[in-house]
Amino acid sequence: MDYFTVYLPIAGIHFNVLLLLLIGFTVGVCGGFFGIGGAWIVTPALNIFGFPMPYAIGTDLAHMGGKSIVSTMRHGKFGNVDLRLGFSMIFGTTVGMELGAQLVMMLERAGLAESVIRKAYIVFLALIGSYVLYDYISHTRRTKTTQGYATAAPRQETLASRLQRINIPPMIHFKSSGITCSLWLPVLVGLFTGIVAAVLGVGGGFIRMPALIYLIGCPTAVAVGTDLFEVMITGAYGAFTYGVKGRVELIAAMWMLLGAAVGAQMGTVAVKYVRGYAIRLLFATTIFIACASVIMKQLELQLASSITIMTAGIAISAVIIGWLVKGIIAERAAARRDEAGGAK
Amino acid sequence: MMWFCHLASRARGWPARLLAPGVTVLLLALPAAEALAGPGKPAKKLVNVADTRGLAPGFTHWVADLYNTSYWLFGLVTVVIMATMGLVLGYVFDRLIGLLGINLGRMEHHE
Repeated sequence: MDYFTVYLPIAGIHFNVLLLLLIGFTVGVCGGFFGIGGAWIVTPALNIFGFPMPYAIGTDLAHMGGKSIVSTMRHGKFGNVDLRLGFSMIFGTTVGMELGAQLVMMLERAGLAESVIRKAYIVFLALIGSYVLYDYISHTRRTKTTQGYATAAPRQETLASRLQRINIPPMIHFKSSGITCSLWLPVLVGLFTGIVAAVLGVGGGFIRMPALIYLIGCPTAVAVGTDLFEVMITGAYGAFTYGVKGRVELIAAMWMLLGAAVGAQMGTVAVKYVRGYAIRLLFATTIFIACASVIMKQLELQLASSITIMTAGIAISAVIIGWLVKGIIAERAAARRDEAGGAK
Repeated sequence: MMWFCHLASRARGWPARLLAPGVTVLLLALPAAEALAGPGKPAKKLVNVADTRGLAPGFTHWVADLYNTSYWLFGLVTVVIMATMGLVLGYVFDRLIGLLGINLGRMEHHE
């Protein structure tokens, strides 16, 4: 195995290349599929294998920028990136992250930062996971109830549709998402998710994705693609700011990006073969696992928490790749049937 | 120290006479200052340096040298390399996955 060991001069450690490729691949699959950066998988994974924490965060952010470019390019070709929506949110997100950072400083001065933030993180993850799961269950029940009828059930009034009706100029049409709403809605949603992301100390992907679905009203695939566009920008900024602070292990980030590029491509293409609600169900499961790992950290079970996250990351990637393979086989079979039908 | 005090007492000329008491006081005070400084807080690592000893010339050596030269330049190069790799790998793997015969055109959104 020494053959695969490289020396990382900035972190000052020796590290196995295959491990870096595996971590990158896993987070690439999950990131491309859910539209998240995946810091919650990479940071503990690098840390458990000997990366000092600041280098783990910086290296993760650096590779996240590159990986999100790969996913955003593919999602863009699928028509899943709403650039207008993404740009509308950036301003709010940036201001929100700054406000959130100020809030953290205030909590730190009061000596409450550590305890309050971690507890808020657990509550927030549990709330998001529960809501997404509740939404999935009620959707499944509705579908089963209406299956026997000839006409589809009327569309339910959602929070997003109510928010879209608020008529504060300028009103904007977002073509890829197929929605029209006030410009203030994405700006304020960006502001809110930015504050939460900064307070919790995360990139914000897993907060923005459900916010795009449930507050703005995007289709799931567009929420994933647009979120990745935002992750790409925050990742590039993170890479620069951590690089300037000397906390990026560039060689490790490059190896991880190589694995992540393959994974991101697979995760992104898998979105094509899966219905939006299946993405939401797996997303809710992922959120609950992340929540459990934070609870373990709170109970000072650091090792158990990191192992849980890594195992879960690999298992979730396996499920996504399974869906991808199944989808490709079904598509090819359909193409063969079409060809046979055309020949007749 | 005694030798210097002796020299100072025999100093000739105005610049030497002017400077001699000051230098003597300074030299006498130094050990006291060192003693007063005493055991303080343990020193923090002020600068992070990439260890290039034993590294063969090549890309890794270049990255380590860049890191040791300027963090600003290193931050900038990090972003450029990650963005370039993202674009190139995105393009290459996009082509490769296209070889599988998958329809990679615009997709319909099914909830």
